[in-house]
Amino acid sequence: MSAGAEHEVIDHPILDPALAPPFPVAALPVLRNPQLRMNVAHAIDVIQAKRARLVAEKQDWQELRSAASRIKDEALENLGFYLEQFEARCTAAGGTVHWAADAADARKIILEILREEKADEVIKIKTMTSAEIQLNPYLEANGVRAYETDLAEIILQLGEGEPSHIVVPALHVNRSQVREIFARRMGIENLSDEPEALTAAARNYLRQKFLSVPTAISGANFLIAETGSVAVVESEGNGRMCLTLPRTMITLAGIEKVLPRFADLEVMLQLLARSATGERMNPYTSLWTGVTPGDGPQKFHVILLDNGRSSILARKTERQTLRCIRCAACMNACPVYRQTGGHAYGSVYPGPIGAILTPQLEQMRHAQSLPYASSLCGACFEVCPVKINIPEVLLELRARVTDQERKQVLRFFDPLYIGLRVANLIFSRARLFHLAQWAGQIGLGFFTRRDGWIHTLPGIGAKWTQTRDLRGLPKQTFHEWWAARRKESK
Amino acid sequence: MSAVADGRKLVLNCIRAATRSSSVAAEQVAGAYTVLAREYVSHGSMSAEARLERMAERLREYDAEVVECLPEELSAAIAAQLRSSGRHIFVAPPRLPAAWIAAGFEWRIDHNLPPGEIEKAEGVVTACFCGVAESGTIVVHHSAAEGRRVITLLPEWHLCVVRASQIVETLPEYFDRCKQPPALVTWISGPSATADIEMTRIKGVHGPRFLQVILVRDEC
Amino acid sequence: MRISLFITCYNDTLFPETGRAVVRLLERLGVEVEFRPGQTCCGQMHANTGFRSEAFSQAKRLVRLYADAEAVVIPSSSCVAMIRDQYSGLFEELGDEALRKEFAALVPRVYELSEFLVDKLGAEDVGAYFPHRVTYHASCHGLRALQLGERPFRLLSKVRGLDLVPLENLDRCCGFGGTFSVKNAEVSSAMLTVKLENVLATGAEFCTALDNSCLMHLGGAMHRQYAGMKTIHMAQILASTQEHPAEVLG
Repeated sequence: MSAGAEHEVIDHPILDPALAPPFPVAALPVLRNPQLRMNVAHAIDVIQAKRARLVAEKQDWQELRSAASRIKDEALENLGFYLEQFEARCTAAGGTVHWAADAADARKIILEILREEKADEVIKIKTMTSAEIQLNPYLEANGVRAYETDLAEIILQLGEGEPSHIVVPALHVNRSQVREIFARRMGIENLSDEPEALTAAARNYLRQKFLSVPTAISGANFLIAETGSVAVVESEGNGRMCLTLPRTMITLAGIEKVLPRFADLEVMLQLLARSATGERMNPYTSLWTGVTPGDGPQKFHVILLDNGRSSILARKTERQTLRCIRCAACMNACPVYRQTGGHAYGSVYPGPIGAILTPQLEQMRHAQSLPYASSLCGACFEVCPVKINIPEVLLELRARVTDQERKQVLRFFDPLYIGLRVANLIFSRARLFHLAQWAGQIGLGFFTRRDGWIHTLPGIGAKWTQTRDLRGLPKQTFHEWWAARRKESK
Repeated sequence: MSAVADGRKLVLNCIRAATRSSSVAAEQVAGAYTVLAREYVSHGSMSAEARLERMAERLREYDAEVVECLPEELSAAIAAQLRSSGRHIFVAPPRLPAAWIAAGFEWRIDHNLPPGEIEKAEGVVTACFCGVAESGTIVVHHSAAEGRRVITLLPEWHLCVVRASQIVETLPEYFDRCKQPPALVTWISGPSATADIEMTRIKGVHGPRFLQVILVRDEC
Repeated sequence: MRISLFITCYNDTLFPETGRAVVRLLERLGVEVEFRPGQTCCGQMHANTGFRSEAFSQAKRLVRLYADAEAVVIPSSSCVAMIRDQYSGLFEELGDEALRKEFAALVPRVYELSEFLVDKLGAEDVGAYFPHRVTYHASCHGLRALQLGERPFRLLSKVRGLDLVPLENLDRCCGFGGTFSVKNAEVSSAMLTVKLENVLATGAEFCTALDNSCLMHLGGAMHRQYAGMKTIHMAQILASTQEHPAEVLG
């Protein structure tokens, strides 16, 4: 809590990959924010502990992961078939299916539907996909007010903040910050900061909206090809409100969300809640098929969104990125995310999955620092319910980013680039390597203190020495010792 | 809308190019699908008694209130639950068994009640399709005895009757019980909850705050 | 039994005492050690930074160099992981059939040190004496890529005089990550601080591991902060005896 502040500031990070600063830069203010680091660490510790307990109790956890991975791969390999099947079945059940090649198309389609409905308001279930296409500001600019109904999303919407996690988007915000936002924006006096009271405030605030706004927008956790159904997984019940009470339902779904059959949910639903929130099952999962007369919205639209996904699909190693079921287990396990939270990634998809998904959705034109925002520890791969080998994809993307750099003049000014090119030359011949070691002993000798350690280095070396010492180079390398020993023994 | 048709063509062309597959025959796709290896547990090994106990245990973990009864005691059990709730106005699905409509309370049978009317009710009583013991999940298919989705959503208090014969141990067994995929499903695993504020679990955000379950021992 | 030691580029240059310890240890166990002077680097640094073709040329060199070795022992789990996990992809993309065959023939003969001792030699008690309080840090490559599991613990448990203190959050990355330590120096340092908290909390005199990369990072911070703890590669502990105690430099 900052003493004397007029109101709590939720920082305003840029989550547009085209505009966000590179990860090492974006991470700096976060690393200096004790409150945020504490909030993030606390949240992920809670989920991690719950998840670990439930995974330990599940005898067939690894088998479920394998099956899920296979099912998703199969769906992706035949994506065209399954999407067309979904479209046919959904349409037969009274839904209307639209296809959006990119974010701009998706926004236009949604606005057109809203205009047809003469809607100037819309209630929303949390969907990261709508944040990906920057829907809310677009609707706002076109005279449609979008009301988030998920508690975390309300906190962010009212507090003018940005999501930092894909399952618990406001995990970086603590209760006193929430209290301040709600008191100010909902106009409530004497609001306590007890989570019970805050949740009750949100419940009251939304009740009227649920009962009066006739149009809703949702995402989809899963699309079922066999039946043309959509499944939404949630905890609070705001999802059920939005998909039961309004007259018109609009669902925005990435093309990779499709599963072949209804029964495939038996695998996915066992993995998702355990991975996402550390529960055996989340409170509410809803599935609906087109339109059901007398029950729920009588007009239903699905927008199938590509926006770069088909380009990921085309690449052998990268395709596994599309298996993702948005559980966020990877970011909960990630030691980098633990220190930086989500905003440093400059995308609505942060953490390990964000590091591979975001640059690819941008067709590798932006977010090139994200594949490097990892120490390649592999904790994410270990927990991913659909076995995405995130380190493998990170390495692939690093190669693609490097190949981009090879064509840029900038590379001559990048000390790491130069260093690695020179190192490669040095490693090509033992003689050069030994020569470089000798040169290193002399060069670094200037920086070596009497105790044999280096405390300060210039240039790129300063990145090491800003927090760590470096032991000086020994006078004799191992290979020299070996050669001397052999000589002696002769 | 020609823009839509273009979008469809564009997206499908990109997908086809990416998977290097032109129109794939449905039989081929189905064939590839059926040979996918599935080594996870597809059915449980618990006895009926253990299953029932597990269901009750998991429900209680979610703070649902659970009582058990024999089939002949069901109507009385329902009446007792309604009485102890202190509530008087209840919604019922159109084909809720008549024996469950306890006397002494005000019943609104859901023949397309407007939401405003449902809001005024204090509780709802329904049947269900299935229970999954492993996770304490109640599966509702929204048939005439289970009710439209809105009636298990707006009221604050939901009493659900689950027969032991409806309870399976594992989730795959529920899917096995579906002869056809249903058009509407709600999987309920406890009252609505959020952990969005500092990971503190709060119940009853939207959707019933109180979940009451009567487990009917129809298998003993 | 004759093995060929791949010392690794950074051990050769920065931690020759680890190499000396490996030689002393293996010879004590009756293993003949040879050292091919043409060795340089396995290519990991380049591969992990995205310089694939450069990594390929180093990988090719390594495979050719050890084509006829009986076994190759490497005191660095990240280098072994590079060879096991990334070489085939590189050779698939940039190599030819002959090279792929050579590699396939070599890879079963490549061992990380603790793997060699426990699996190949069947040795857990290597006759070591190191009377100090020690904690073990499980580097990520060893832990996850190589699945070393219990091996390091079994070896340490047989070292006479050694008091092994468990490390909390054992599976959490120290933050080194190769070029990550420089490209994302601040985040790397934040991760290091958190790791160091756990390491220092053990009250041990030494933090050991099977990778000098992690130890360089941890030890560099310990030295900067006058933390009163040092790092030491496990080879040096295992080579240590009463007659010839471990070389502890710095």
